[in-house]
Amino acid sequence: MKYYLTFKKILDDLKAKDPLYAKNQWIGWTCTYLPLEILEAAHLTPFRILPEATTEKADSYLDPNFCPFIKAALEKALSGGYSFLSGIIFLNTCDGMRRLFDAWRLYCKPTFSYLLDLPRVMDSSSIAFFKEGLNDLIKQLEIHFRRKIIEDDLLMAIERSNKTGELLTKLFSLQGRGDPPFTHGEILDILSERWKVNRPLFNQALELFISSIKLDQKASPVGPKVMVTGSLLDGSDLARMIEELGGEVVASDLCTAQRIHNIVNLDSDPLDSLSQAYLRKPPCGRMHDTQRRIDFLKQRLLECKAQGLIYFSLKFCDPYLYEAPAMEGALKEIGIPTLFIEGEYSGKPGGGIRTRVQAFLEVLRQNG
Amino acid sequence: MDNKAIGLKVLRKMVHFPSTYRLLLPFLNLLHSKENQAYRVWVRFLLSTFRDAYAHQKPVIWINSFLPSELIYGLGAIPILPEIISALVSYLEWSGRFLSRADTSISTDLCSFYRCALGLALEDFLPRPDLILSSSQLCDGANKFFYYLSRLYQCPHLFLDPPYSDHPRSHRYMEGQIEEVMDEATKILSLPLRKERFRLVLNRSNQARQWIEKINQLRQSIPSPFPGSEGLSYLSGMTFHSMGSPWALRFFPLLYAEIEKRVFSKKGYLPEEKHRFLWLHHVRPYYKNEIFNILSSRGVALSFEEANYLYWPPLDPSEPWKSLADKILSNVWAGPIERRMKAIEEMRVAYSIDGVIHFSHWGCRQSCGGAAIIGDWLKEKGISYLVLFGDGADPNNYSTGQIRTRLEAFIEMMG
Repeated sequence: MKYYLTFKKILDDLKAKDPLYAKNQWIGWTCTYLPLEILEAAHLTPFRILPEATTEKADSYLDPNFCPFIKAALEKALSGGYSFLSGIIFLNTCDGMRRLFDAWRLYCKPTFSYLLDLPRVMDSSSIAFFKEGLNDLIKQLEIHFRRKIIEDDLLMAIERSNKTGELLTKLFSLQGRGDPPFTHGEILDILSERWKVNRPLFNQALELFISSIKLDQKASPVGPKVMVTGSLLDGSDLARMIEELGGEVVASDLCTAQRIHNIVNLDSDPLDSLSQAYLRKPPCGRMHDTQRRIDFLKQRLLECKAQGLIYFSLKFCDPYLYEAPAMEGALKEIGIPTLFIEGEYSGKPGGGIRTRVQAFLEVLRQNG
Repeated sequence: MDNKAIGLKVLRKMVHFPSTYRLLLPFLNLLHSKENQAYRVWVRFLLSTFRDAYAHQKPVIWINSFLPSELIYGLGAIPILPEIISALVSYLEWSGRFLSRADTSISTDLCSFYRCALGLALEDFLPRPDLILSSSQLCDGANKFFYYLSRLYQCPHLFLDPPYSDHPRSHRYMEGQIEEVMDEATKILSLPLRKERFRLVLNRSNQARQWIEKINQLRQSIPSPFPGSEGLSYLSGMTFHSMGSPWALRFFPLLYAEIEKRVFSKKGYLPEEKHRFLWLHHVRPYYKNEIFNILSSRGVALSFEEANYLYWPPLDPSEPWKSLADKILSNVWAGPIERRMKAIEEMRVAYSIDGVIHFSHWGCRQSCGGAAIIGDWLKEKGISYLVLFGDGADPNNYSTGQIRTRLEAFIEMMG
């Protein structure tokens, strides 16, 4: 926790000194394929919807066989936990998310709500279609918030976003250094702070943190190296549990981890660049091209020398649950063992998961 | 090898043998001699499709329910819908074995129609596909599920991705996707793309559509002339599977004539009709269950089911891609839930509905996710509403006692 607490202190100090912090106009969002740069260019602050894992009220609004994250989000919205938001922007991520959008609109009545079409494929037609959707989103934001989104603001937002990407790359490169070693679990905790502040503040805090800590020494390897993939997790508990059990999380391909940062190449007009960058980024499980995802994961596993993959799917999450056997089979072909976990959104993995992770790490140790 | 394994091997051989379906026909004709003519055409349609598919006389293309079958008939290929085969297998009370087989590979929290289809594929019971063409509409799992099957069968997989919005840009994008996919499919299957065949297929589809419209009008009659349990089986099955084929033009007119006869004689399918219900969701339990008997014995007619709601406009045979894009995007279960609610309201009024059942099929997110919203909205209108939790293809997710208690209490409450 040492490094995370250092970062948190830096961030809290900056927040306290920022006279504009209280004036942020927050917009709720859920999917990492939403180009936040557009909201930032509209002088809005994206607020990531990552609720606490409770579902008492939402259970009567959504079916029992529903994604626990979606239920938790609706729970918090129904309880007024998101009443400070000036609007919500969802993507047609999945069946569950579309129904959450319906329930949120009808029961919570946000003043601004928008659902952006996200193609599942990546080709020139889908990129053009996504760009048209972004254009429409801009129009709707301009009408509702009565402000013009000018190109210079969009360019500045993209530059800032790219800066976040660069800083996060630096942050990830520090993993495993220092005494005690800077762990992946701590990185996930730092990332979880990203969604509570605006980007300039986060960038500033991250820059200060990276320059203030001295992590020259590379720690000696601690145990089997694993990579985690899946949709999203509430916090860093799974990574911390793996680390406690003697494993080393070397990378995590999650909506709450490395999937969030995305470098936008400004080689064409900004909207074109954004639609290309977002659709071309390494695909999540919701996107169609499973082979591209398999290739990406194989490459990442090799790059970070991971000995195994932990595939985490939220319960009732169709895209990941249907993808799992194909992924497991493809990785088996290259000798990478996979542990498939179907779990709750709550970050605290139960005893059953702990035992399975322990056994998996043991197998990896034996495999050498 | 134990007796079960031998039995399975023999069954697999029989299923793959095209003559099985020819031999089965006279037996099934005899067995179904008391059924209406349309039903018997449906049986013949299935036998003929399976015979041709296992004989591989033409390319076999697997599709899912909301992918227009017109595309496949237009290519001159045979459409196979694994979900429909799962429903049939469940009806024959054979789904348990295939579900268990699939459950060794995928989560039991997924749709049992797909799980059963996977079990059938793993046990090599399905006709081998030359191509898989799936759509992501209404079912997120479809694209990953069919990708996995394409790996199992080592065959190409093409994919349509209908957008959420009904904006003109979505129609253009959809039309472009269809054009690309058809172009790719003809290359993969070495088939010529014959516009005149698509024209013929779309004309047939339009004629069938007119018959569906007329059937739906007849079904507004009081008392209800045709049971919803059948509407949810062979009628909706034909709408998913036969549009664009000559079979549709045999089936729908016969069904119309049958229902017309009942309407003229003022004969309802129940001796006494106390209530008229609407069934929400595209599926029902296909294995042996009590639901429909309970309803009938209490004088509740299942007057209509949203599965048979005619949502698409007539197609323009001179513009097949545009027309089929419009058909896909006019799907009222896609997009915001208000579209579905509007269609439900239309059905409620047209069919004089006083009670609505939402069948919450385990593993279905898109329909079940809207069940509570629809319930609140209907209750505000004073319409009785019941969510019935169950499963379309997996009898293990069917709780006899719970369903009986809920249904009986609901009907009793309605008086």
